[in-house]
Amino acid sequence: MQREVGTLPLAPVLRARLAAAGFQTAQELLDTGPCGLSKEIGISREEALEALQVVRQECHGHARTAEGSSSTRKCTALELLEEEQSQGFIITFCSALDNILGGGVQLTKITEICGAPGVGKTQLCMQLAVDVQIPECFGGVAGEAVFIDTEGSFMVDRVVDIAAACVQHCHLIAEAQQEEDHQKALETFSLENILSHIYYFRCRDYTELLAQVYLLPEFLSEHSKVRLVVIDGIAFPFRHDFEDLSLRTRLLNGLAQQLIIIANDHRAAVVLTNQMTTRIGQSQSTLVPALGESWGHAATIRLIFHWDNSQRLATLYKSPSQKESTIAYHITSHGFRDVQPPAVTPSTEGTELNPRKRPRTEEEKQQ
Amino acid sequence: MDWDQFDLNPKTIAALKKADIKSVKEILNLSGADLQRLMKLPSADIQCLLKTVSHTLRRNSMLTALQLYQDKDNFPSQHQKLSLGCSVLDNLLKGGIPLVGITELAGESSAGKTQIGLQLCLCVQYPYKYGGLESGAVYICTEDVFPSKRLQQLIDQQHKLRADVPAEIIQKIRFGNSIFVEQAADLDTFQQCITRRLSLLLARGMVRLVVIDSMAALFRSEFGPAEAALKARYLQTFGAQLHSLSTRFRTPIVCINQVTDAVSESEAAQCSWRAVGSRVTPALGITWSNQLLMRLMVRRVSLPGHSPGAASHCAGSTRTLSVVFAPHLPPSFCYYTVQLEGVKGTK
Repeated sequence: MQREVGTLPLAPVLRARLAAAGFQTAQELLDTGPCGLSKEIGISREEALEALQVVRQECHGHARTAEGSSSTRKCTALELLEEEQSQGFIITFCSALDNILGGGVQLTKITEICGAPGVGKTQLCMQLAVDVQIPECFGGVAGEAVFIDTEGSFMVDRVVDIAAACVQHCHLIAEAQQEEDHQKALETFSLENILSHIYYFRCRDYTELLAQVYLLPEFLSEHSKVRLVVIDGIAFPFRHDFEDLSLRTRLLNGLAQQLIIIANDHRAAVVLTNQMTTRIGQSQSTLVPALGESWGHAATIRLIFHWDNSQRLATLYKSPSQKESTIAYHITSHGFRDVQPPAVTPSTEGTELNPRKRPRTEEEKQQ
Repeated sequence: MDWDQFDLNPKTIAALKKADIKSVKEILNLSGADLQRLMKLPSADIQCLLKTVSHTLRRNSMLTALQLYQDKDNFPSQHQKLSLGCSVLDNLLKGGIPLVGITELAGESSAGKTQIGLQLCLCVQYPYKYGGLESGAVYICTEDVFPSKRLQQLIDQQHKLRADVPAEIIQKIRFGNSIFVEQAADLDTFQQCITRRLSLLLARGMVRLVVIDSMAALFRSEFGPAEAALKARYLQTFGAQLHSLSTRFRTPIVCINQVTDAVSESEAAQCSWRAVGSRVTPALGITWSNQLLMRLMVRRVSLPGHSPGAASHCAGSTRTLSVVFAPHLPPSFCYYTVQLEGVKGTK
């Protein structure tokens, strides 16, 4: 941005005027804005806007032109397959869930997580925001994460717990395997580093959410390492104050379309959470994902989280490549994890698991 | 809205005025294609317009998690909590009630819900140093009259409950003066109360805590099974309004809720994690649960070791406070008792 005004490809007259007005770097021009600029150097606003567009293109343009317009490119199915296979997944730290998803949360796809409150949707989102940053040599994608929070349920203390456990896990792997690139990768894979690469946006209503999604492509071009966009939750801002339900459907469809473009253009996984609602049938009522039938088409992959007594279960409900199946998962103080097989002796488990497990067993004994 | 303030091409501004588009919200509610048709502009200009208005609406709102974690002064909602006035209970909740969001306290009658609600009204008035928010509280009663006698008793006993706070500080606080009691027996009064009076009190900085006792009472009488959709709409509207007040003023909202017996397994499944052996679920169904940040449940228990006679000498029977769900807490619980001076956790 420190580029001098003289080197910009602008009309000589304009350059002279800018120099006379005391502008020196491109950044100064951008900070002034078109209104200010037109006043300062006495040109019309159209001219000022055009000039600023040139400046912006010069400054950011290199990254964007390199990317090219991916929307119009042609490729064969074989190429697509190869691309998809080389893309990698964001692992969830729950191997059973990774298995039914075919390796983890897929990049370039939209994954929707539905579930009753308290079942662990936000937990998985926070886990993914950490896991996306795992270095490549540990099987991660070494990316960054965007977290759009509409409900205010993002608790940084919890992210710290999860991130610390993840760093710890990688350290254990590195110790066991003693490989050079592991050590090197761990030097930068620290708690501070993880936290500074989770970009958090708080949206209070649906207009803010729509505006944020319009701005995302630009943000993602500036932060090209982002591989995960989380919207937690998509349903909350759209489930009240909508008299006109057709408007809601239209906005949601538009949003879904933009998210698909974002996922494709920036090779990012998009993860959305959705609430559940009661559908009253003839004989009994069932729980179904909110936002209606047409929203069901928005996500490529749909996961439903639910309870069976006190066991958390995840069901893969919709997927283009994997079969429908259900697995159990746990949420521990370290984050989203597999259910431990019951055969493991409790003595070794006691130190590994968190203290919260203990009161419950005490209670069971008492009853 | 004055479009001339925006960094837009005059051509676009003229088209906006001509198309009679008045607000940013209106622009965002229209799709790109609709805007093109209405304003008769090429799509590149529309993209530019959308980006510019989005920028104005969002400014630079990006934060990293590290900023949230380290900058404790600027983001108090991530670090500060409202204390319950007892270290055992605070430990269970990792400091207390989060400042932003709706916290539900559900339980059978006489489990101690109102007691906790009253205690919070007092705790919020303490200085920040002692877990309070240095402000008053609003107590919205929907079923019973406000238990002012009990409140007076609690105020008199504060020095006993809060041994950690110096006596002169407790004496200085005029507890009774900053608890605002609202009676709202039906939905319309309640609606008025939260949209008008509540936001006024919050905007003036007179209160930093809202207790609603109870949410379910408003809905139990008025809606039959046929009006479930209308009931759900009301719940969503209230939830959203309370949510936005909480976010705007960084004020915890505590909603006391009743419980119902779980009739069928599917109904029980909606309520997520339940204490082993309990057959009750919080009232108001999943629509209401969706509005919550965290859910706490209180229950009376009879410990097998204690006979009813033995329980009476330790001043009040044992109860449990359990976390059903919260984004930052594991499901867990602790025991507490209600005594003359207030609610106290036991180890």
